[in-house]
Amino acid sequence: MNCVQLQDSLAEIENGSRADQRAHLRTCAECAALVAELNLIASSAIELRAAAEPSPRVWNSIEIALRQEGLIRPQRPTVSRTNRSGAGSLLPALTSRWTWARWMAPAAAVLLITVGVYVREHSAPPPQIAANLGQPAIGAIVSDAAIAGLNDDDLLQEVAEQTPAMKAEYTDDLRRVNEYIQDAKNDVAAYPNDEEARRSLLEAYQEKAMLFEMAMDRSLP
Amino acid sequence: MQQVVVGAMVGTIFSAMTAGTLAAETHKELHFNVGTKAGLSVNNPYGSISVKPTSGSAVLINAMLSSDKVEIDSSQTGNRVDVQSHLLPGATAENGRVDYEILVPSDASITLHSNTGSLRAEKLHGDVTLEGAGATVDIRDITGSHVHVKTLNGPVTITNVQDGHVEVDSLSGPVTLNRVTGPLVQVISTSGGINYTGDFGDSGEYRLTSHSGDIEATVPETTSADVTASSVRGEVHDDIPLQPKTHTSFIVRQGSAFVGTMGRAAVSSTVVLRSFSGKIHLRKRTAK
Repeated sequence: MNCVQLQDSLAEIENGSRADQRAHLRTCAECAALVAELNLIASSAIELRAAAEPSPRVWNSIEIALRQEGLIRPQRPTVSRTNRSGAGSLLPALTSRWTWARWMAPAAAVLLITVGVYVREHSAPPPQIAANLGQPAIGAIVSDAAIAGLNDDDLLQEVAEQTPAMKAEYTDDLRRVNEYIQDAKNDVAAYPNDEEARRSLLEAYQEKAMLFEMAMDRSLP
Repeated sequence: MQQVVVGAMVGTIFSAMTAGTLAAETHKELHFNVGTKAGLSVNNPYGSISVKPTSGSAVLINAMLSSDKVEIDSSQTGNRVDVQSHLLPGATAENGRVDYEILVPSDASITLHSNTGSLRAEKLHGDVTLEGAGATVDIRDITGSHVHVKTLNGPVTITNVQDGHVEVDSLSGPVTLNRVTGPLVQVISTSGGINYTGDFGDSGEYRLTSHSGDIEATVPETTSADVTASSVRGEVHDDIPLQPKTHTSFIVRQGSAFVGTMGRAAVSSTVVLRSFSGKIHLRKRTAK
């Protein structure tokens, strides 16, 4: 079994417990780390509640953010694969076979990473760029305009394509939630040790995540 | 005579139109046998969903389809029933509408999703999850359950939910809580108002936050709760005298805020009322 086959097999046995999976994981540190991370996310998502299956676009955006944070290792150069949704992905199992809890876990992880990054920016000196490793400072990766790869223009474009009549309403909703986030960020900046301020920021991002989720959950054929 | 003829023609045309409309609507009934703690998921883009309890061990679904532009896909896997209103090409919000009335065992957990219409659940003991961008949400008479609501603009009303774990996310729709108590009651809103009427139970965490919406809590004077309230740019009013807390991690901010204890400190809930630009008012409920 090679790395591609291992990752394909995760669609059926996602915890790497099958004999051939174990054999590969014993010899491949990269795949072993990937399975360990997936198991950690899955075990942390037990308490998360049901949510509708997101569109592949949402999932791909989350995957991009997780890669940027170094939680997903780059795939070895092999023949390209696509998952069932047609989007190339290192994690085919997650788009099609994982339960609602496992979808919410990466979304929650990205959300928390975003907030954690912001809070860290304002409570400690900015991290040094690891020039030799070629990894940019974490704080520079996630911006307000592109949270987890889902930017506002993408949202409005999706709404304009699916339900044009709703675009004005979503534009207004987006403006309100961005104001919420900005106010919350200003509060954290002013009171970096205030737990309530940090919690408000998390709640603001949670509102925006909900807005994206609902905007992309359209059912017209 | 001419008037009679015209009248008859109008009546005939009207009857034909009405009959055509009625013929397009179809009624469908579904029946699923389930065991204890069954699960039901209904995804209905357009139309209402109402769920009530039944004494039997079955899920009974009555659906009214508005046209042939929508069909119902359903499946059962073990103790879980999934229902989907499948929109066909040419479907719109009007002709793609399906209205559901569903009976489930009272211990069933339900997940309802609709973009429009109303979502209603009552008298259940299982977990209740309701989501809808513009749906009107009405939940009542739930005991000992997890209740989760997500809406963008639809109004949310939750009444008589006891010993519940309640979480509401509403972007701009108003949220009204009447007699809602439990270990956790949390409402997060961006611009919607939050109105709570009750007594905050005797222990639990209550968190009502809105970025720009007003927050109003009406409680009896006998309520026991540690209350912290703050609004960065809005006004804060407190009608009930609070005993100052001798030790608190609450940071008094520029703006309006109050913190203190009402009732018996030894047995009390924790209440956080927070807004950035909305008004906060802790009112005393007067006996009728």
